[in-house]
Amino acid sequence: MSNSSPSRPLHVPQGPRESRRHTPKTNFKGIYRRALGQSFVKLDPRITVRNPVMFVVWVGTIVTFLVTVNPNLFGDIQADPTEQRVLNGSITVILFFTLLFANFAEAVAEGRGKAQADSLRATRSDTIAHKVLADGTIEEVNSTQLRRGDQVQVLAGSMIPADGEVIQGIGSVDESAITGESAPVLKQPGTDIASSVTGGTKLLSDELLIRVTSDPGQGFIDRMIALVEGAKRTKTPNEIALTVLLAVLTQVFLIVVATVPAIAQFIANFISTLFSQAAANNLQAGASVAVMISLLVALIPTTIGGLLSAIGIAGMDRVAQFNVIATSGRAVEACGDVNTMILDKTGTITFGNRLADEFIPVTDVSSQTLAQVCWLASVFDDTPEGRSIRALAEKLGGAVDLDLATAEGIEFSARTRMSGTNLANGQEIRKGSVEAIKGFVRSRGGQVPDQIDPAYERVSRLGGTPLAVCRDKDIYGIIYLKDIVKPGLRERFDQLRRMGIRTIMLTGDNRITASVIAQEAGVDDFIAEATPEDKISVIRSEQSQGKLVAMTGDGTNDAPALAQANVGVAMNSGTQAAKEAANMVDLDSDPTKLIDLVAIGKQLLITRGALTTFSIANDVAKYFAIIPTIFAAAGIGALNIMGLKSAESAIIAALIYNALVIPALIPLALRGVQFRPVSANQLLQRNILIYGVGGVVAPFIAIKAIDLILPFS
Amino acid sequence: MNLPSVLETLQDIWSLQRHRKLPVYLFLAIAFNLILAPLVLAATGNSFSRTQAWAVGLLLITTCALGIYLFFVMFIPEKF
Repeated sequence: MSNSSPSRPLHVPQGPRESRRHTPKTNFKGIYRRALGQSFVKLDPRITVRNPVMFVVWVGTIVTFLVTVNPNLFGDIQADPTEQRVLNGSITVILFFTLLFANFAEAVAEGRGKAQADSLRATRSDTIAHKVLADGTIEEVNSTQLRRGDQVQVLAGSMIPADGEVIQGIGSVDESAITGESAPVLKQPGTDIASSVTGGTKLLSDELLIRVTSDPGQGFIDRMIALVEGAKRTKTPNEIALTVLLAVLTQVFLIVVATVPAIAQFIANFISTLFSQAAANNLQAGASVAVMISLLVALIPTTIGGLLSAIGIAGMDRVAQFNVIATSGRAVEACGDVNTMILDKTGTITFGNRLADEFIPVTDVSSQTLAQVCWLASVFDDTPEGRSIRALAEKLGGAVDLDLATAEGIEFSARTRMSGTNLANGQEIRKGSVEAIKGFVRSRGGQVPDQIDPAYERVSRLGGTPLAVCRDKDIYGIIYLKDIVKPGLRERFDQLRRMGIRTIMLTGDNRITASVIAQEAGVDDFIAEATPEDKISVIRSEQSQGKLVAMTGDGTNDAPALAQANVGVAMNSGTQAAKEAANMVDLDSDPTKLIDLVAIGKQLLITRGALTTFSIANDVAKYFAIIPTIFAAAGIGALNIMGLKSAESAIIAALIYNALVIPALIPLALRGVQFRPVSANQLLQRNILIYGVGGVVAPFIAIKAIDLILPFS
Repeated sequence: MNLPSVLETLQDIWSLQRHRKLPVYLFLAIAFNLILAPLVLAATGNSFSRTQAWAVGLLLITTCALGIYLFFVMFIPEKF
């Protein structure tokens, strides 16, 4: 957990995210041509049957084709057979294009996903790996033959053959193939953030011994490839719910339309006795099988039925373009439903590279003595904080001539919350959280000086991290580690608040520092002096209130919390355990990306909701176009509020609109509805206004316009 | 054709139907239409020819099949 450690360097790509090079580039060339071919392939009933709305259209197209060949197939028609054949043929062609357009939408989305997958796969070129056998000899094998647990030797200048963990050696790795970040990253064993390597990256210097952590085809990038390609795409809970809704609507309209001919027959009998047989015949002609199928297709939600899978695939594609690997579509959707976001202070809210700014003595010691103790306490600490403490101490004349071989470095741990050095003469020098150092000194029989608390409070009130430093049983002073809140975060947290998302900052710092940073950054709540266990308990407590929680993490001790969270984003620089537990991996290792992922998830859900609203709202106009034409003979001509020219023109115009609206909405489905950070209520009002009211009004205008263009009289 | 070869052919058909369900469903629909089409013809008097009655019967079966299919989608949507 990065913030519980006062000394965790985070490898974060520099510069604005938009300007960062995301490699490899995705090649979208020829995507529409391939999609066109796929539109015909997808007419296979075994594929169409997976989309209930479009399968009904498919069956309808077959039936209208049969009545085009033989208009009298389902009974003698009252209209002129040639005219009826033209009408039936037109309906068949339009329904066929409706199917093609829906298939095209899906094929374009899949094509973009495949192109994305190809670019990801480009990082996966097979290489020759130097596998270390049990007897220590080295065998050259193809990287595809490597299995989990195998050990491989990687030399400078060669590609890392598979995902793994460094178990021996230190070397700098070029990860630009997956992160787009050109600066090489140092990899070494035994550390949480620097021991994990990804297949397809290149070792620039030295030599590494790597333990392979995944079988071929099971790595993170392989999983993402399968996901964006749609090969292993399973429906998300929201998609399943929407599929049920669409099936229910289709079922209802199927029953309604199937019973219309019987009603029409009854009315026709009634009309023939009251008026004339000709009027009754007109009514029966209007209720022909082809017209009934037109009515059914116009009423069922074909727009959303045709675009549903494209919206889902495009959502995954957007996440991939953001350099985030999602292991399931469910995780992307869960981002959109998140209520609580748990953020580390270090690296996420603040820049993370805290630097020593001042040494504050708390006893009667000279500044040089204090600097010497600080230098000794940090001599084995190679983190940016440790290095900055040494640099400041050297500036103040605190450098000591020490043979490192005679001393022992004490590593920081989240439990002890301190690190330091044991010298050959038996002296124990420690630096760490003030409470931990107080405890250490007391355990050695020492006294805590009175001046420590004012110094500690002073640093905390400045938003800095105070570290106490001691030698054996004597506390010498406080190190002021200066930390800077990232600019623009307050506005982003305000946006999240407006969206109803609560932000909680977790930090290993004391309460005063935590409250100062929390206030400055504008988070809703904070937990100070947090241990790794606190993270999981906060998640459980939020989830027990029915909330969905998102968090980021990189260390092995974050793994249980990442697994517990509804959305767990692991940093690519993190440990294998963290990446296995999370449902997303950020290749840029940028913790603030969690905020953007929530926006992508919400955009996916809003797009699906908006297009569903639009699709269902369209029914009103299509209903008023077709129904009056069927029952015109029954004297309901007044319902023809659009003043459409004729029955044929009305049906064809409604169906043409129904077909054309699908390709017209493909760009919106792929790009997503523009996301605004406003409350759920405001969002609902806005979408009802644009896609609900717009969905009612737009087809009235479009159908009337098409009716005017059509050559029917 | 002797009895063993007939049984062998039937066995082949049976094993094929496990893999190719659509022809089986179509066969069952047409077979069921042998019952339904005369009912349609009887109900409509002389207004329908035998072919039209057969077509209407098949249309009714298709509509019912679509209804059943949609119920399947509602109850096991994750399969679609």
